[in-house]
Amino acid sequence: MADTTGTNQASSTKILIAQVLLAVALVAFWELVGRKFGYSWTSLPSLIAVRIVEWIGTDLAHHVTVTLSEIFIGLTIGGTSGILLGLVLGRSIVLGTVFRPIIVGFYSVPIITLAPLFILWFGLDLAPKIVLVTVSAFFLLFFNTFSGVRAIDRDLILSMRIMGASSGEEFRKVIAPGAMTWIISGVKIALPYAFAAAVTGELLASRDGLGSLLAKAAAQFDMTGLYSALVVLMVMGIVTSAIAVGVERWMLRWRNATG
Amino acid sequence: MASVSINSPVAQSGVRNDEPGALGRAMLTTRGLIISRILFLAAVLLTWEFASGRIISKFWLSTPSAIMQTLWKWLHDGSLWVHLEATLTEMSLGYVIGCVAGVFIGLVLGFLPTVYRVVVPFLGGLYCLPKIALAPLFVILLGIDLGSKVALVAISVFFLILYATLDGIHDIDRDLVQALRIMGATRREIAMKVLIPGCLRWVFTGMRIAVRYAFTAAILGEVIASNRGVGYLIEAFSGQYNSTGVFAAMLVLVACSLTASELLTRWESSATHSKAGV
Amino acid sequence: MPRGDTMLENRPKPTPVSAANTGGAMVRMQDVAKDFSVRGKETRALQPINLTVNRREFVSLVGPSGCGKSTALNLVAGLLTPTSGQVFYDGQLVQGLNERVGYITQKDTLLPWRTAADNIAVPLELRCRNESRKVIRERVAEMIELVGLRGFDKHYPGELSGGMRKRVALARTLIYEPETLLMDEPFGALDAQLKLLMHDQLQRLTQQRKMTVMFVTHDLAEAIALSDRVVVFSARPGRIRAEREIPLDRPRDVFKVRFADTFSRLHEELWNELKDEVVKGTDV
Repeated sequence: MADTTGTNQASSTKILIAQVLLAVALVAFWELVGRKFGYSWTSLPSLIAVRIVEWIGTDLAHHVTVTLSEIFIGLTIGGTSGILLGLVLGRSIVLGTVFRPIIVGFYSVPIITLAPLFILWFGLDLAPKIVLVTVSAFFLLFFNTFSGVRAIDRDLILSMRIMGASSGEEFRKVIAPGAMTWIISGVKIALPYAFAAAVTGELLASRDGLGSLLAKAAAQFDMTGLYSALVVLMVMGIVTSAIAVGVERWMLRWRNATG
Repeated sequence: MASVSINSPVAQSGVRNDEPGALGRAMLTTRGLIISRILFLAAVLLTWEFASGRIISKFWLSTPSAIMQTLWKWLHDGSLWVHLEATLTEMSLGYVIGCVAGVFIGLVLGFLPTVYRVVVPFLGGLYCLPKIALAPLFVILLGIDLGSKVALVAISVFFLILYATLDGIHDIDRDLVQALRIMGATRREIAMKVLIPGCLRWVFTGMRIAVRYAFTAAILGEVIASNRGVGYLIEAFSGQYNSTGVFAAMLVLVACSLTASELLTRWESSATHSKAGV
Repeated sequence: MPRGDTMLENRPKPTPVSAANTGGAMVRMQDVAKDFSVRGKETRALQPINLTVNRREFVSLVGPSGCGKSTALNLVAGLLTPTSGQVFYDGQLVQGLNERVGYITQKDTLLPWRTAADNIAVPLELRCRNESRKVIRERVAEMIELVGLRGFDKHYPGELSGGMRKRVALARTLIYEPETLLMDEPFGALDAQLKLLMHDQLQRLTQQRKMTVMFVTHDLAEAIALSDRVVVFSARPGRIRAEREIPLDRPRDVFKVRFADTFSRLHEELWNELKDEVVKGTDV
């Protein structure tokens, strides 16, 4: 980073070439070492590729759908309730001061470790995973919405009131769009958490979903299956976070305008 | 309006439209706050105590009194310490390894901007993989004991600290670096005087957040496969449908997590203070 | 959020004041004083003052920083309640927010997520005015033209310079034609040339639309060039130290008015009043 002058910076094309070469080299190294010294632990990139193609032909879509629907339902329920509570506590100084520390206290429980409890309560199907995602999303969106509402410039609110805004208009034109920045960042942060929560739930007890692929492979010491599941998870993770970043950038384009 | 802000905090008290009513003002005093929070918690605990067994079966929800009794028993017969020690060992080993590796790699990448630009998408890709998904792999490769959990904790902490360090380096004012260079500072001097102290605050923040990650990772590792540890307790009791045991273990977990993050906050503030004093 | 003024409701209802009583007065501050409490300690920001602003009059308030001139505007806007005394607006006691004034502050309170044009349109979208989209679009275009921001209407506040943002804020306030304008150092952050251009526009608009203006500034020349009357405040706690009518003809050429003899004479006179206070003010 210390070099700020353009002359020292490698061009983007060169970087891209280096990246492709690095990727190819890593895969080739893995394949060669595996073939030479045995691949019972490491599997081989070629075997993984074949397995993934095989999955695509059979039930990968099913597992992806299960995981995605857990994420979607959980985010919707948890996100909505987190946003609503954040708006209420954010707007009321008294309620906010009294209840926010209590919610912070609850949040000190590492949410994902509640998974066994939820499985105990809600069984092996979608329900415990949805609850897990819901709880994770709830806290993240609550904190973000709350901070967002509190960060709104009071002067904006007062200036709207002087122009004659009713409280409804004040909410629609200042509070909601002002908190939106934070809510969207909250969703962006919550997405990977939701993903991790869903996969954790599936890993612990499930028949469907990407986490169950992982658990099944591990139970059978099927290393190729294990690595294949990891690759699929990584790709899903990348896609999820790319979508989140893209949505944020689009929704908040006014903010990128600065400068 | 602006003038109101400019006169604040004076004027804030003068703007009336948002002021709470009499009850609200009473609740906002320090004592009022403490009392209202205690009342709320007491209400939750009492509701829990009375609801379970009456509205919902004790089987699912247990009761606060039963949970406290179980905890007390664990403390007495010493069984708690075995599990706590296991979890804390995994956690602290993994945490140290993750932090050291994260700061080290972060600084290296900070100094080699071209290398950084090449590897950044690879790091990003790995970062997107939920770390917990690596647990089965680590169990197969490193066994059911300490090793697999240490690895899981280390990798979770590593990424967090790595990104904190990189953020810290990128946050450093480039003009400052430029100014020092004009004054004739060497690369080494720039590193010692600007880059490292500059990203220290970020690293500390990352380290505080990482405690939570380390706990989560250690516990999840134990839940997935282990024979001791707080996570093992949670998993074992939920396997036996013993909700009292699960809640008691969770309470231990919360206590540890809170203590650790409190300690780190203190350490962080004292470290940054002494740094500022130099 | 309660919008009414709960604290005021216990007070006795004001005795109705007939318009005849107040004559041509738009704003009348009667023995108005304001204290603030900072961490339990009471400080007086404004000593009891009496000030009347007539309909269609342009009055400037000048004084050292912290002399309470902004407090005076906040009292007229209803953002603050006086500790003692009463503020009347158009013969009526000011209670709660005074929605009949337009308030332009030092800091522009533009909504960062709306473009310049959408920001200017805000007042027309509000309940009390609620114009059709077509009317809004036309009026906004007109205002953008007026404040010289053509071509910048689709820009977000983050993309505009300080001066442009100021002009957007001005346009936003002028578009709903409030009968009274409260302006708190609106041009403080602008460079000298732009300031003059804005003075010119402001003068034209307020004359054209027959507005009453209370203008807070610490720039004496600006105050004289724009006003019918200049009020000099003392250092904190503020009280009125001097008042001068500005007998310069309207419409004025804001670019040339500074070179008139009357202007320099008034400037000197008022500066003599002001300078002791500025010294006192800086001691604090």
